Amino acid sequence: MHEKNNSTADREIVMSRIFNAPRELVFKVWTSPQHVGRWWGPKGFTTTTHEMDVRPGGTWRYTMYGPNGVTFLNHIMFDEVIEPELLRYYHSSGIDNDPEGFNVVVTFNDLGGRTELTMHSVFRSAAVLRKVVEEYGAIEGAKQTLDSLGEYLATLQ
Amino acid sequence: MRRDVFQAIADPTRRAILNMIAHQSLNVNSVAENFDVSRTAIYKHVKILTECGLIVVRQQGRERFCEGRLEKLSEVSDWVDQYRQLWADRFDALDQYLNELQAKDTPKVSAKKKKNARKK
Repeated sequence: MHEKNNSTADREIVMSRIFNAPRELVFKVWTSPQHVGRWWGPKGFTTTTHEMDVRPGGTWRYTMYGPNGVTFLNHIMFDEVIEPELLRYYHSSGIDNDPEGFNVVVTFNDLGGRTELTMHSVFRSAAVLRKVVEEYGAIEGAKQTLDSLGEYLATLQ
Repeated sequence: MRRDVFQAIADPTRRAILNMIAHQSLNVNSVAENFDVSRTAIYKHVKILTECGLIVVRQQGRERFCEGRLEKLSEVSDWVDQYRQLWADRFDALDQYLNELQAKDTPKVSAKKKKNARKK
């Protein structure tokens, strides 16, 4: 797979799930402070929203509180909001130029009373995953690592 | 600056260094000879790779040898795995929450005599 300028296929993780609910509801549950904390989790974590403004340029700031006092501050900045079908945002820790930040597109596809939700997460650093496979493909010892890495890359595409 | 595997392999010179020492330990100066950049620059890259845990530098007499610890690269795939798992868990929780919300919407005989509680 070639690394073309605009191609994100090698930097992307795609996940998809069908929910037994109309997309208006799914969208609402993603974008309302009173709902989102009820499922954002993850397991063992509570999510507290400090600010949620769901529109282009708006921000969702929240903290995840986990076991043993661990906390993660999260910062989501919305680029595009099309209710009830699309959200595009940048997710980071709120630090300027956070190298771990990533771009996400969430689409809510109407399946007649059910919703197919698809998430594309595009990472800056995932580009190096492929390079690692290319450049270290022949190394013994790391071979097993690269096999599983290769599997992930296959799923990324 | 973060010191982790991602940062380590983000730089092409560092990837080249890792490639060189993947099959055999090399002394630091031998590594540096292969590059156009200054030795100091290479030492700096080696330092970063060491701090990221991908290289170990051993002293042998007067020379310092770089040994690869490439099993650390599995951190990259672990991280992708964790991300997927996080979202799989979230989707499970979302699914459950949506079911709960919609169950509540079903009109039932209840102690609260609210008229027309049914939403959409």
